[in-house]
Amino acid sequence: MSKLVIEQVFKVFGRKPKEGVRRLQGGAQRQELREGGTTAAVIDASFTVEPGEIFVVMGLSGSGKSTLLRMLNGLLEPTSGRVLFDGRDLTALSSKALRDMRSRQISMVFQHFALFPHRNVLENAAYGLEVQGRPREEREQRATEALALVGLAGWERSWPDELSGGMQQRVGLARALATEADVLLMDESFSALDPLIRRDMQDQLLELQQRLHKTIVFITHDLNEAMHLGDRIAVMRDGRIAQVGTAADILVAPADDYVASFVQDVDRSRVLTAGSIMAEPVTVTPACGPDVAMRALDTDDDAHAAFVVGPGGEPVGTVTEEQVSEALHGHHDGGHTMADLMATDLVTTGADTTLAGLLTPASRTTLPLAVVDETGRLTGVISTGALLAALGDPSGPAAAPDCGDSGATAKEVASA
Amino acid sequence: MPRIHLGNWAEDAVNWLTDHLSWLFDFISSVVNGMYDGVEWVLGGPSPLLMAGILALLAFWMRGLPAGVVAFVGFALIDSLAQWDQAMQSLSLVVVSGAAAIVLAVPLGIWAARRDTAALVIRPVLDVMQTLPAFVYLIPAIIFFSLGTVPAVIATIVFAAPVGVRMTELGIRQVDPELVEAADAFGTPPLGTLLRVQLPLALPTIMAGVNQVIMLALSMVVIGGMVGAAGLGATVFGAISQVDIGLGFEGGVSVVVLAIYLDRITGALGDHVSPLGRRALARRGSAAGGMRVLRYRPRPAVGVCGVTVLALVACCMGVFAGNGNGSAPHVSAAANVGKGQSVRIGSFNWDESIASSYLWQEVLEQRGYKPAVSTYDPGAAFTGLATGSLDYLTDAWLPTTHASYLKQYGKDYTDLGAWYDRTSLEVAVPSYVKGVRTMADLKGRSAEFGGKIIGIEPGAGEMKLLRSTVLPGYGLDKDYQVVSSSTASMLAELKRDYAQKKPVAVVLWSPHWAYSTYDLTKLADPQGLWGPGDSVHDLANKASGAKLSQVSAWMRTFHMTEAQLGSLEATIQGAGQGNAAQGVRKWIGQNPGIVDKMAPINGG
Repeated sequence: MSKLVIEQVFKVFGRKPKEGVRRLQGGAQRQELREGGTTAAVIDASFTVEPGEIFVVMGLSGSGKSTLLRMLNGLLEPTSGRVLFDGRDLTALSSKALRDMRSRQISMVFQHFALFPHRNVLENAAYGLEVQGRPREEREQRATEALALVGLAGWERSWPDELSGGMQQRVGLARALATEADVLLMDESFSALDPLIRRDMQDQLLELQQRLHKTIVFITHDLNEAMHLGDRIAVMRDGRIAQVGTAADILVAPADDYVASFVQDVDRSRVLTAGSIMAEPVTVTPACGPDVAMRALDTDDDAHAAFVVGPGGEPVGTVTEEQVSEALHGHHDGGHTMADLMATDLVTTGADTTLAGLLTPASRTTLPLAVVDETGRLTGVISTGALLAALGDPSGPAAAPDCGDSGATAKEVASA
Repeated sequence: MPRIHLGNWAEDAVNWLTDHLSWLFDFISSVVNGMYDGVEWVLGGPSPLLMAGILALLAFWMRGLPAGVVAFVGFALIDSLAQWDQAMQSLSLVVVSGAAAIVLAVPLGIWAARRDTAALVIRPVLDVMQTLPAFVYLIPAIIFFSLGTVPAVIATIVFAAPVGVRMTELGIRQVDPELVEAADAFGTPPLGTLLRVQLPLALPTIMAGVNQVIMLALSMVVIGGMVGAAGLGATVFGAISQVDIGLGFEGGVSVVVLAIYLDRITGALGDHVSPLGRRALARRGSAAGGMRVLRYRPRPAVGVCGVTVLALVACCMGVFAGNGNGSAPHVSAAANVGKGQSVRIGSFNWDESIASSYLWQEVLEQRGYKPAVSTYDPGAAFTGLATGSLDYLTDAWLPTTHASYLKQYGKDYTDLGAWYDRTSLEVAVPSYVKGVRTMADLKGRSAEFGGKIIGIEPGAGEMKLLRSTVLPGYGLDKDYQVVSSSTASMLAELKRDYAQKKPVAVVLWSPHWAYSTYDLTKLADPQGLWGPGDSVHDLANKASGAKLSQVSAWMRTFHMTEAQLGSLEATIQGAGQGNAAQGVRKWIGQNPGIVDKMAPINGG
């Protein structure tokens, strides 16, 4: 079951918010409402967050992402629509039940840390437990553990204003982790940090996530951060969700011009992975002759080489179109099998390798790269041409699929 | 524009409240009085130096050794200015009204900070409380609560509480919204947010508000003195209305010592109670090197122990030293007419008022009564007489000067007749100004007097009469401007100009001590425009006048000549400020038989 389900959620501020929702549903634009003094912060947002994933909501300031986040833990109530947490409808909960849920199941990490200046680091980290009404000993122990988890062991008796920004945010993170809530809401949590520290914190969050498997909803306006952290990313614009998908989906198949212009400056080589640009390989067995190999190569116009795979599906070598054609037409003896023809200086890579990581292996060979899974089975192939095309302009013919495709992608994700 | 009779409605409202809610006012009155008496008993009980020691120890505890030493020196100074009792009375007044103001203000401030609608309602009320002149509600307060401590406390609360409300509201609203949201995001219930986050973080601002409440409360003690609250206010008020610069200065210095002490202590309290303040304090302590001793402060436990031990010593001494001052004058059985009945006599800081009321106090004491004289602003005294918190007033100028009070409260008074005839209103000039003997002589000499006649309070009947009738009558209204000020300012101006022998014309009246202090010429009024003048009457509260029928009978037959009054006033002046009773005793000694003449005993 999805951890969080957001169903057609609207949030409208100002006078007569319900009427604002009706007008939006009737096709009115955000700008029209603003002229009447009502602000539509979130318009018709629907998505799900799966257990254990990092779901990033990305958008510029004013896009409604913070408002959206605050509806996930009931700090704000949707004007219309439902938010389901573990299948429970938040809008139907009493304020006491809602508070109880916030204290035990959903924690939050803030942009400007929001540490209590009148409490020391330990007391800050223990705050959520204090609200839960845990005895002092237990909460101090668990807060100490949480601080150790974020690398702040030994700083318990310090005061927030004695710490650097990065350390303060670690306290914020420890405070959220100490309650053992399984959902973390992070509101631009790293935006106030300087770039080096930010990168550090992102890596540490990913590392923690591997151990703790929390469900994290992360808000950011920084696309690189979104790409780096997000298992899936929702791009918001003017209160609407423009696209939901993996980093690669968004890079490779932007839903509209807005998303496309947004992603054009992204360092694609560090976001796209081998898995996202690989093509179906043409495979042959070592025992088959050139005629079989020629027929296989003819089925795919783009393929100029075939992979020779062993019995377990593992690649053992490659044969080029020229070699096959030469064997077929040049000598006519027909005695050569693929095992005789193939070149065995294969370069293999994993599906998770970023494009930047593919460049060096690609330079060592003229042959396509073989993408293999954990068991060594061949799953795809990346030609040098495809690699260069993927690093290039996303609007170029090689990487831009038609709109119908991207629409399908968004829909698939939404229904997943 | 239609005339809106707001004043009448206010008056009706006051009357309605007096008629229907007197039980409530009596209750508040007894609570406030009880609190004040308790605090005053504690503060004023121990011997001055011991109490000074306790207060100094408190300063030592809160702020360190230098503060403690300075506090002790300050309080010792108050004691040596002979203002100790008054200072402790004022301190009690400040403690009671300050505490009440804070207890009211902080919850209101919290409410206003959390509810915008509450803030919307509260703010204009605070504006009114802060800006409405104190006397506007002081007189109704006297009607509700009678004279003395209670109206002073009420006025102080009204004046001081708004700052507490505002600072509390400000402090809570200033707390970073992200912190409040963080508390909310961790599921803190509203009360928890208030107690765990908002109040601790707002505390420095709230304590600054508490400090201001205390300081404003102290600044109201002088006003309190005008409605009969004991303390430095009475000293200062008495001093300014008699232009006794020396006494005023002594009272003023005592107020300043109290103010600095209270300011520093409440300021330090702010540092001690708020977590942020404690941290700042600790950091400051560890950062600075140098003189350890000067920064040493006793730990809380030691501080509490010290204060407690001294307080216990104070209690014991109070117990053993008590009952030493009950030396009532010996009264022969035949003369003991009063049998210990109490008689409350009101007085204002007018010379003939002090002279007559203290004279009656002495006489009634010799007749076995327990009389007490207290001094008020005239408006307060007349209101107090009407409500029964006073039994007698000896200085009602009738039919003109005090006519308005008689019109308002006449049904509550019994007029015991005139004891002095006849007062006069006049313009006076120093006798070194030659050639000015009558009002008409002022004509054409306005340049000499700077075109000014120095007047008194703008509302005084004499001022109105001068402007509307006397000056036009002598054709002086073009040449002279009547400067409104106050009686004290007028006398100060007279004193200054007299010392420099400058020509000056002042609004004055007889009897007045100025005539015995300075050599002045009363300007004659050949046209009789000032009117026939008043007589000075004794007034009794209707009920008291009947109950104390013997005293009323004596007052009916009482009469004084100008010579008698003059010599009495002079003797009182000679005895020095605050020694009116001694002066009266001396004068009685010089006038044997006066007591029997004033209060004859039947068959005696």
